[in-house]
Amino acid sequence: MKRRDFLKASVVASAALAGTSVSAGVTTQPKDAQKVSKIAFPEKRPLITYSDRPPLLETPRESFSKAITPNDEFFVRWHMPDIPTHIDLEKFKIVIDGLVERELSISIAELKSDYEQVEVTAVLQCGGNSRSAFKPIAGGIQWGSGAMGCAKWKGVRLSDLLSRAGMKKDAKWIGFNGSETAAYYETPNFVREMELTDLDDHVIVAYEMNGEDLPYLNGYPVRLIIPGHYSDSWIKMLSKITVGEKYRSLFFMDVAYRIPDNECECETPQDRFKQTKPITLMNVKSVIGYPTNSTKVYHNSHVVVRGVAFDDGHGIKDVFVSIDGGKTWEKSILEKDVDRYAFVAYRYTFKPETYGKVTIMAKAVNRLGDEQPFAKDIQWNHGGYKYNGIDTVTIDVV
Amino acid sequence: MKKIILLCLLTFASLQAQIKEDVQVPYISYEIKMGQGFDAIQANCLMCHSFGYIINQGAQSKEFWHKKVVKMITHFKAPIDEQAVKDTTNYLFEHYGNGKLK
Repeated sequence: MKRRDFLKASVVASAALAGTSVSAGVTTQPKDAQKVSKIAFPEKRPLITYSDRPPLLETPRESFSKAITPNDEFFVRWHMPDIPTHIDLEKFKIVIDGLVERELSISIAELKSDYEQVEVTAVLQCGGNSRSAFKPIAGGIQWGSGAMGCAKWKGVRLSDLLSRAGMKKDAKWIGFNGSETAAYYETPNFVREMELTDLDDHVIVAYEMNGEDLPYLNGYPVRLIIPGHYSDSWIKMLSKITVGEKYRSLFFMDVAYRIPDNECECETPQDRFKQTKPITLMNVKSVIGYPTNSTKVYHNSHVVVRGVAFDDGHGIKDVFVSIDGGKTWEKSILEKDVDRYAFVAYRYTFKPETYGKVTIMAKAVNRLGDEQPFAKDIQWNHGGYKYNGIDTVTIDVV
Repeated sequence: MKKIILLCLLTFASLQAQIKEDVQVPYISYEIKMGQGFDAIQANCLMCHSFGYIINQGAQSKEFWHKKVVKMITHFKAPIDEQAVKDTTNYLFEHYGNGKLK
């Protein structure tokens, strides 16, 4: 039986057992091994391509055997059809206005010379990463596990920019505007708001990614970095920061990127939970970068499983690996983490002693003791957000 | 003097973008199914997004597709008229549906 058939069969079996329809939601592994496109996008190598307008590109699994995701393999997700095709660095300015003592208009050169330069290595992950695991199919792009990556970001603290502008007493919300635009004038811009209480020194306005200019499709020339948080507010091509007193009602804040506001953060398609909340902090997750599904290895050879793990900044304590389908687990070796917000690379060596299919699983545990659940135990939400099931690959031992 | 020139060069270099010209985001031709209502899809959806955005949503219910079309009108302000709402919804459900009304 092929792996996919097996999965299908187990879905049907568990649905039959429960005596209800599949609509109760049986989460499986996300889509995997999708082919990369034949066409490469600017500054990228060919990636899994869901859409060209707006560009939606996913990083293949193989990339997640290393702690840093190279710029040309880094996933891409835009919301609006029109992104500027040219940025003139001489003219580009980040405007800070609203409830400030001094309105600022900062060039990239000033950003690099007039403020303290800081670096943070942090994971950027779409809230809908791995969405394809949810059954019934949740609304939105059916991402596999590659709508994420980890890079070293260099820039300036947002708090430094804001204190230079001088926030007025009543300031409570900070709005961020990117430079992407819609086809229709009336379409709301992609604007996000952050409550001032969420602002800490780790939030930066970054112009550099892994020692290079930000790739165009990752938000050149500057983007917001909010370590530990899902990427919905990591505004690309950041052009405007507006300080305000009141929260502005916004589509991308009020409707998109929200989950049920209950303890399990779950609901069913028939019975949607009315109260919702933003997705905010990332949960503990890990992915296996090598081997990939259907990799052939020799019996009694040394196989080194490699992958990455991360959470919202509490830090990864352990990554356990199972080679018997989740019955027994052993600790893997963790690479020293470079930053609490970064990917931690892990490796685990074993000798396959049986022939045929071997299922490898990886489970991360963070310093709070939060651990990844089995995929089947993850409950459904309508947007297909926050999937963090134990990653599974099946290899052939020959 | 040499040092100063080098320093100037370095400073200057750091202000140079990796890409100095317009970027070209490639066009990808997605295979989309032909059928009744396809005209409405071409006229009402392509303004804002590619076919890829449609076909990569996965198979969905009629209600899901209807809500998606309505979302384009209410939230994204797409000028889609009543007839086009029907035509696009029917097309999407027929070709990218899961067979369920809800």
